[in-house]
Order: sequence, then structure tokens, then C-alpha cells
Amino acid sequence: MHSTDSAETPRNSAAVADDAARSRDAARPGRLQGSLFQSIGDAGRAELVERRLASAITGGHLRAGERLPSENDLARSFGVAPTTVRESLLALRSQGLVVTRRGRNGGSFVADSADPVAHARTALAATSRVALRDLGAHYAAITAACVRLAARRAVPSEVQQVRSRLARLDESDLEQWRSTLDDAQIELVALSQSARLTREQMRLQAEMSPMLRLIDVDETSRQAQPALLASVVDAVEAGDDHEAVAATERMVDAVINALIDLQSQSR
Amino acid sequence: MTTPTSTSTAARAAAIVSQYFSAPIASLEATALLLGTELAASGNLGPLSSQQIDALVEPHALATVALPDVHIYGAGFIATVGLLTDERNHLSWWQGDDPKRLLLAAQSVNKEHIDYSELEWFRVPMETGRGHVAGPYVDYLCSDEYTITIAAPVHIDGTFVGVAGLDLLIDSVERQLLPKLAELGDKVTLVNSVGRVVISTDPRHATGDAVRGGALAELERTECEGVALEIIAE
Repeated sequence: MHSTDSAETPRNSAAVADDAARSRDAARPGRLQGSLFQSIGDAGRAELVERRLASAITGGHLRAGERLPSENDLARSFGVAPTTVRESLLALRSQGLVVTRRGRNGGSFVADSADPVAHARTALAATSRVALRDLGAHYAAITAACVRLAARRAVPSEVQQVRSRLARLDESDLEQWRSTLDDAQIELVALSQSARLTREQMRLQAEMSPMLRLIDVDETSRQAQPALLASVVDAVEAGDDHEAVAATERMVDAVINALIDLQSQSR
Repeated sequence: MTTPTSTSTAARAAAIVSQYFSAPIASLEATALLLGTELAASGNLGPLSSQQIDALVEPHALATVALPDVHIYGAGFIATVGLLTDERNHLSWWQGDDPKRLLLAAQSVNKEHIDYSELEWFRVPMETGRGHVAGPYVDYLCSDEYTITIAAPVHIDGTFVGVAGLDLLIDSVERQLLPKLAELGDKVTLVNSVGRVVISTDPRHATGDAVRGGALAELERTECEGVALEIIAE
């Protein structure tokens, strides 16, 4: 006991004041606590499954006419009970997104009437300009972080794979064209070697992709996109991380401006 | 230049790495051969559906994932485009600690439509007819993690029909292999064939970094027998 006391004797008043400040900080809720206690919503599991499938359909990731996995497979995959999946499929049927056929080749299918482009048009019209700009800022930040790392880490043969994917872009099939461009974008950011950043990019790409189909129909903006992406690829191959970031920002600016132009034309 | 100490360290490290990968590779090659035979037998009865393929592949995949000593995250078979009657791109793949068949629906960007024939783990065995170690790379198709994929071609009567594969997460490789390499005492870095750091006992060498242009670039590399990885000892 005695030795402990004497060890504390030399502490100066500044250290004591510092301690006091620290304990005041500890008593105050931290800035992050605000987000910690945000509402997590009270959506039931069936509703979460429904929302996940609905966004895949309206986003065009499950195509019209495509067969959904079986109820049991979906239940295992989502980690929920088969009855929960059944409940969500019922809701999707009532929204007209899914149809169910009986018989040997039966099952649940994406409704033929589910048109992702129509959904994207509605979504774009309902999105404010500030939200579009913010989506662009988020997308640019993640992509820029990825290509900065990719420029430092990728080897030329890997970059060449992205380039050969871009070379297969075919304007005669716009759906294929968009999915090839999405794949090339993901393949490029995966060269960052960061799983977290790549997953975030995929999430953002899935969000943007249906809206990008709306600007793909315009020849000028369609042809601008591969060229803009190619300049990011060039910078990554050259190992020039600053140019890769700058080229990414030019690419995202062009896309967001095209979306905003389209939005103001249709208002 | 290379000192006798680092040479023997490199050789011992390479032996540890070869030993670590030997069981998964042997299991995968046996699976690829067996699958070829079983597919040929089923194929004789008529065109194959994805359900038939899944039934054939599942026991092999589950046995591979359950191998002792090496933590295997996922395993399965990927048919070449057009092999199956009902699906263009079918992944017969089981993954996770409680392995479940991978469903690609609704997870992200068009995973269902990703053309995997361009991906290294599929392309190289298809083109060379030989097994291949791909990665480390971000596997955005199956594991969604930083991964090494070991793949072997499957043939029916000499015709390529797809790839049998298994995934090792770099996270597991680090946990399982790094302590063994650290016991050697010297700084040891495992790199792949394009010079990317897989793991290193030197915390300054980050997984995923390229060795080119850095201090490691000039050092001698020692091949690990049976697996296309190399050791750099400092």
C-alpha cells in the first residue's frame, strides 16, 4: 500500500486536470451513441425477406420469368423458417412481382410484367436532387478508395482482364451491355484486394445499376461511360493512384449529371 | 545475398506451406476424378439437370469442407456454360461453418449473370487442363471474402465439363499457418505467383500488397512444392 501511495505523489496538477476532463467525457454520451440507439425498425422477418426479394426484382437482378429458388432453399439461405418465406412470397404475389405455378415444373417465378426500367423511372422521379448528389458522393468515395489501392496492388495481367471484358461490350443488347459494364466495374475495384470495400461497391452498384439503364438508352451518355471507365483502368494499370481517383471522380460526375438532366427533362 | 540461415529457413517454411496445402489439394484432385466418372455415368442416361448435379456434388463438397486441420470455407463444382439443361450458369457450391448450398439470388449485382469463364480459377484449369491455385483475391462470386481458390478441371472422356474447387479464406490461412511460420524465428513472407503477399511474419508486409518496388522484390524466392506459392525469407 505504502509504495503505491508514494508512486502517485509526483503526479502534477496538469495530469489531475486531464483526468477530470476525461471522467467528464466518460459521463457524457459519445457522438457514436446517437447512431447506436437509432431505430432498427420493427419489420418482421417475412417483411425483411419480402423487401430483399422485391428490391432484387425491381432492381433487375432477378429477371422477368426467372425461377426463384424453392421455398426450402430460400428459407435455408435467409436463415428463416419456410413458413416465413411462404408469407413473404404471398405478399410479393399480391404486389404482382411474383407468380406461382403448380405442377411438376411449378414453383415461384418473377412475374413477366416486372420491369426494372419502369421501376427505375419511378424511383428516379421520386428521388430528390440532393439525394442523387449524395448517392454520387458515396459511390465516388468508395470507388476512389478502391482504385487508389488497386493502382498500388494490381498486376498488369489482372488489369488486362478488366480491359478484355470492356472490349466485349455490345450495344445491340442494352441489358447485357449494362451487366458487362457493372461486372467490369466490380472486377476493377476487387483489385483493391479489400473485401469490405468491394462488398460496399457491389451494394452501391446494385442500387445505381437500374437507374443507369435509364441513361444507357441515350447514345451520347452510353458511349461516354466505357471511355470514362477505361481512363480509370489506364491509371490503375500505370500504377498512378492520383489519376485513378481523379478519373473516378470525372466518371461519377458525368453519370450523376446525366441522371439529374434526365430527371429535370421528365419533370 | 542469401545467407545459409535464411536458405534453410526458407526451405523449412516452404515445407510447412506445402504440408498445409497438400491434404486439400489431394482431396480436390480425387474429387475431380471421381466427379468425372460419376458425371459420365449419369450423362449416359440423358442430359443433366442442376438438381442431378447438386445431388452428385453435395457429398464430395461436404467431405471437402469437413477435412481436418485445414479450415476450408467452401467447396463444389461449377459446370461449364451449356452443360446443364435448365440453367446456364450453375454453381453447385456449399459454404460456411454449417455448410449450405450457395444461392446467388438477390445478394448483389447480377451475380447470377457473372460470366465466370473469365475468372482465373475457372479459366486457367479450363485452358491448361491442370489444377490451379488462384488468389489471394476478393471472391465476389462465392465467399465475398479475401480468398484463395484451389481448382481442378473435371473431364468426361477427355472433354472439359467444369471445375471442382475449394475456397480457403485468407483469414483462416493467417490463423492456421502464420503461427507455424513464426516458430521459425526469422522473417518469412508467403507470396503468390504474381508476387502478392499472402501472409507474412513481418507485420509491416500487408496481405494483398505487391512486393514489386519494395524491399522484398530483390530477395530470392523459394518455391513451395505442390502449390504455386513462394517463400521469401529475410
